[in-house]
Amino acid sequence: MNSYKFDWNVIDKYFPELIRGLGITLEISLVGMAIALVFGLLLAMGRLSSMRFIRTVANAITQLFRSIPLFVMLFWVYYGLSLKFHILFTEFQAGALALGITGGAYMAEVFRGGLMAVDPGQREAAMAMGISRGTTFSHVIFPQALRVVIPPSVNVYVGLLKGATIVSVIGVSDMIYVAQYVSLQTFTPFELYSVAGIIFVALTVSISGFAWMLERRLGRGRSD
Amino acid sequence: MSNLSGVSSIGEPEFLKLVDVSKTFGSHRVLDKINLTVSEGEVLVIIGPSGSGKSTLLRCINFIAAPDEGEVIFEGHVWKSRISKYNFLANRRYEQKLTALRSEIGMVFQNFNVFPHMTAAQNVMLGLTKVRKQNKDLARKAAVEALTQVGLADKVDQYPDKLSGGQKQRVAIARALALKPKVMLFDEATSSLDPELVNGILEEIRRLAKAGMTMVVVTHEMNFAFQVAHRIVFMDEGRIVEIGTPEEIRKTTEPRTRSFLSAILN
Repeated sequence: MNSYKFDWNVIDKYFPELIRGLGITLEISLVGMAIALVFGLLLAMGRLSSMRFIRTVANAITQLFRSIPLFVMLFWVYYGLSLKFHILFTEFQAGALALGITGGAYMAEVFRGGLMAVDPGQREAAMAMGISRGTTFSHVIFPQALRVVIPPSVNVYVGLLKGATIVSVIGVSDMIYVAQYVSLQTFTPFELYSVAGIIFVALTVSISGFAWMLERRLGRGRSD
Repeated sequence: MSNLSGVSSIGEPEFLKLVDVSKTFGSHRVLDKINLTVSEGEVLVIIGPSGSGKSTLLRCINFIAAPDEGEVIFEGHVWKSRISKYNFLANRRYEQKLTALRSEIGMVFQNFNVFPHMTAAQNVMLGLTKVRKQNKDLARKAAVEALTQVGLADKVDQYPDKLSGGQKQRVAIARALALKPKVMLFDEATSSLDPELVNGILEEIRRLAKAGMTMVVVTHEMNFAFQVAHRIVFMDEGRIVEIGTPEEIRKTTEPRTRSFLSAILN
């Protein structure tokens, strides 16, 4: 049982590789989050539409994409789309898109909650001044929703960041891929995965701290 | 007892007209074929018990709550509700057109509805830059001027959470007036204020009345209503029960109006 010998020297040796992998992980999760923000906002607006048809479709999409495991989503986007529709993505693109779609379904719920938290009187006041729907949304409703939306959005991002480790299965050379690849040669998976885990914890804590600062800044001038 | 002290004269008789305006929420008919004419420069005060449809009537004038039936005629232009169940784009286009009507009609709400993420000045500037297409410097000047007129010269750069209810309502009034509307709608503008702040806001409305602003005012402040109104409308259960000068309403023999007034005034 105790025949496993720890060899932390591999960490020293391969640390630059791991960090390079971390760069890919961050990049793919950020691109995924950017897609999730746009997609999620559109879905949320759809779900709050006055048109019943749009509401129903947006609800169905949200429910569906939220229920599909990221792993399955990744396979569909990467293999499914190319086999069935000849839509070819690079590994990175497919990974980011899968993260974006799944994250978007989660963000739809977050945005919906944020938009609904804004007092309907705010929209009425803007309407009464003759301000267009678009401007009312961008200048009155959305900025107020944003403050409510930030903490849960950070949660979604942390989820995506950890979800991003799955993209190694289609060959994106992220941090987990590097850890896996190196440990196949050095036989030290425990050391490598543990360090990867510690890096993730450090990252998540920093992100939460950043979100806390952002929230305070946006809360400026208001105590309600 | 004259109600005409300080009340300005009346111009164009059919400045704003509501024809057969009806509105239903679910199975409840909130407004039932309302016909009403407001003259230019007139102060029309709507009174009536809660749930009588006063606020909904006000909201139908600027289509914040679009009437289901009937039309609103303002300066000769006819506005009808054209909400299609299926044609999303047509709805959007009509909504866009309605902004023209709304930008001529100012509205002040019971709950102020000031924008909490903007300073007092920014609250006023938004309409000026986005609706009147003024540049920022000009809008800022006009905003400071409008805020000064309602006594908030020293609060221009404050966020609403640093303001009292009365001050928030003044921001809302300045915000509406800065757009130079032709009609002002007041929807129970003093109902959520602390008692000591009510008179200040009523004074602002009175000042506007003297300046000849056309106004439709929904209020529970009866003394104020009888002082400031050219005509008083009594509503009950979605209908106009009677319209008359304050003098006529005071002496009315209509039983519902009488019982409402005696309940409120005693």
